[in-house]
Amino acid sequence: MKFESMKEIIVRAAKEAGLDEYELYYYADEDMSVGALKQEIDSFSSGNSQGIDFRCKVNGKMGYASTELFEEEELTALVSRAMENAKSIESDDEVDIFPGSPKYEKVEIKEPPVPNAAQMTEVTLALQNKVYSLSDKIADGTRSSASCGKIETCLYNSYGLELTASYGLQYGVVQVNVKDGDEASFGFEVAEGATMEELGEIADKAVAEALSKLGAGLVETGHYPIVISGKQMRSLLSTFSSVFSSRAAQKGLSLLAGKEGEKIAADCVTIMDDPFRPGSIQAAFDGEGVATSRKCIVENGTLNTLLYNLSTAKKAGRESTGNGARHNGIRFFNFYIAAGEASDEELLRKANGGIYITEVKGLHAGANATTGDFSIESAGFMIEDGKLGRPVKSFTIAGNFFELLKQIDTVGNDVKFGISGGSTMFGSPDVYIPQMSVAGK
Amino acid sequence: MLNKHLCSEVLAVAMSTGADFAEIYQELTRNNSIHLIDGKIDSVGDNVLSGVGIRAFLGTRTVYATTTDITREGLLRCAAGVADAIGQSKKEVSIHLTERIFPNAHPVRRLPGDVAVKERTDILKEACTAAKEYDEKISQVQGSLFSVDHTILVANSEELYTVDRHLRTRLTVSAVASDGGENQSGFVGPGRAMGMEMFEFIDPKAAGKEAARVAMTNLRADYCPAGQMPVAIENGFGGVIFHEACGHSLEATSVAIGASQMAGKLGQKIANEKVTAIDDGTLPGEWGSINVDDEGHPSQRNVLIENGVLKSYMIDRLGSRRMNMPMTGNSRRQGYAYEPTSRMTNTYIANGSDKNEDIISSIEYGLYAAKMGGGSVHPLTGAFNFSVTEGYIIRNGKICEPVRGASLIGTGSQILQDIDMVGQNLEMGQGMCGSRSGSVATNVGQPLIRVSNITVGGRSKS
Repeated sequence: MKFESMKEIIVRAAKEAGLDEYELYYYADEDMSVGALKQEIDSFSSGNSQGIDFRCKVNGKMGYASTELFEEEELTALVSRAMENAKSIESDDEVDIFPGSPKYEKVEIKEPPVPNAAQMTEVTLALQNKVYSLSDKIADGTRSSASCGKIETCLYNSYGLELTASYGLQYGVVQVNVKDGDEASFGFEVAEGATMEELGEIADKAVAEALSKLGAGLVETGHYPIVISGKQMRSLLSTFSSVFSSRAAQKGLSLLAGKEGEKIAADCVTIMDDPFRPGSIQAAFDGEGVATSRKCIVENGTLNTLLYNLSTAKKAGRESTGNGARHNGIRFFNFYIAAGEASDEELLRKANGGIYITEVKGLHAGANATTGDFSIESAGFMIEDGKLGRPVKSFTIAGNFFELLKQIDTVGNDVKFGISGGSTMFGSPDVYIPQMSVAGK
Repeated sequence: MLNKHLCSEVLAVAMSTGADFAEIYQELTRNNSIHLIDGKIDSVGDNVLSGVGIRAFLGTRTVYATTTDITREGLLRCAAGVADAIGQSKKEVSIHLTERIFPNAHPVRRLPGDVAVKERTDILKEACTAAKEYDEKISQVQGSLFSVDHTILVANSEELYTVDRHLRTRLTVSAVASDGGENQSGFVGPGRAMGMEMFEFIDPKAAGKEAARVAMTNLRADYCPAGQMPVAIENGFGGVIFHEACGHSLEATSVAIGASQMAGKLGQKIANEKVTAIDDGTLPGEWGSINVDDEGHPSQRNVLIENGVLKSYMIDRLGSRRMNMPMTGNSRRQGYAYEPTSRMTNTYIANGSDKNEDIISSIEYGLYAAKMGGGSVHPLTGAFNFSVTEGYIIRNGKICEPVRGASLIGTGSQILQDIDMVGQNLEMGQGMCGSRSGSVATNVGQPLIRVSNITVGGRSKS
């Protein structure tokens, strides 16, 4: 069924039910992926799905329901289910349907790729062949894949507001296992792109990572100067990002509640949220249809603002920052620690005798956004004579995110972004922390 | 659900270019959840997921395609896409399907949809109120009640046509204790493969109190010391240690492609002889139980490790082809959007011969991990981590002051040897396990165990 027909059925049902305020959010996505194991293609997958999320206001409360089943009966039931759900809501939070912003930024649309299975197959095999050609230690389980996807969304509401967005993404992944006698290690790299020119480097990087970790030893328990690589620091930032949500703050779940205007981090720390970052998936409006904006969240250590949606902004007596997510949540766009001035060499020189962290694992378990505490399995390299020395593994770094923000001494000059599955992306440069607790042998 | 005739037609198209096996998986899931915060119902989640995944094999090469368009045209188009990708030959295939009905080991007495909304919100409120009233320092309580009604259909070119419906219910309570500038948290999340009759076995009030008790305990706890030491890990969710340290490495997902530290070790002694570990998806009403797996294979009880010797892996259909070993009823997926692979169900270390009090009294200085959070593992190296959410120092065989913020790390092959005492109070804990085929409900479990030496990731005093 086409979106226009679905919309017609739902709008008719909403009008018949006497609803004044309602909204539909439609999405359709398509993806394709080719994977290789050893030096042969072993898997091919493709998918397409559509869904509709409906919400409406009944007696001042917002109710939601969604479906992927597009029979007329089901679409009509969607309206009555959402109305029924609204009746259960007791929260006093005022959630509104939004009539529209006066102006929306013109964003650069990433053209959805045209899936080309033959080209993807060729690239996947080329990646895999390249990996195997780089070392005789490459072991079973080594995988390469090429994927592409596109998503289209449409928001339509009872004020007549209609906004559409679409984006596409192509990327390659290399996952390398190496074995040397009884010892095994691995490397992983992913990058945007569709051709070997764009992706070839990920094979070199993943193999180099896997080989560099062979022979990793242990570290003594103690305190060390630490450089957390940008890739890992952005994972930490992502894990603790909810502390910047006004909703978490208003519900007593973020220790940043009431800290706007206060110093929460070291002078060298600036954190941005930029929906228009060049080269990223750009977004002109948020999940509630509010125009987005580029903003400085933490400026030289001072918390300028948390991220607000319509409901939390109303409660705080201010404007939404354009960070609303569907279902009254908070959405992040390109959320990153801004680049400082230090070169890689300078960071390593400062952290001499310490550890360069290139891997953190189990963040979903070892880190707690409510308390800020973390204790996480890590791996990396000792820093000797201002350079990367022997590889080390099987230790944890432990601390508290709120303390960490204040302990950052120096920020590197190169922000590392991930590739995004949607419009949220985190980024960070390398950061130097003079002392952290390490548990090893 | 799709009828037999249409399934035959779709499978025939998927097989038409030379595939040696084809399968249709259909999902219809109704998710309902109620969320409470600040003592008030804050939101209701209500989603219908519906779609189909069509898969074909040619040897160990696989093609998988999914669609939410479940009209005849939509399905035939999807199957034709699969056929195009798997082979080039032309083959006339006719598929005959026979319906198989597997006995339902987890019959539901009270469907969530048949229970008044008020009764469900009352249960949630009872749990959250008990947490809030536990202590005046409990500053916030969030609670959720989840009901999942999941119907699947599996039909394949080996004549199978089967439909299975299973329900799951879960209550989660998360409490925050606050003391000026510091917050601490506690979480409980009991769940069963049951309908609302789960609350004949689970007391919401006790669950709420327990979440608050843990948060309050952590509020008076100092940071856990760092370094290597013996650790006693309590029953219930403590079983996450086996799940991470060993369970994932026994899944065909990594074993079959040689990417597991446990590959090729069948029949070998891989663990301390005190360790016997089982994966059993047949336990009535348990959170990780299933009647049939997501390839239509009946669930079964698999002894993975017996007295330290590796007896079995967990194997799905593709793994079975790669490994030349039979399937074990462990093929699972979150839903139609995911290609299935081998996963755990209810996985636990069986009761042993040590008395629980002897385990604690045997430790001169170490950690008592009363409650565990989640963790992760890399199956190739076996390096794992998991977090301790309620811990205490053991001194001279006695449980002393609480400590917080600890995690435990190590490698699977080592820790399996170091589990040198196994107690007798086996209990399960509920979790959602995330892997290649999405998020699935799994139980972990064990009695109290002792690990003779492990790295405790705490914070040493500077």
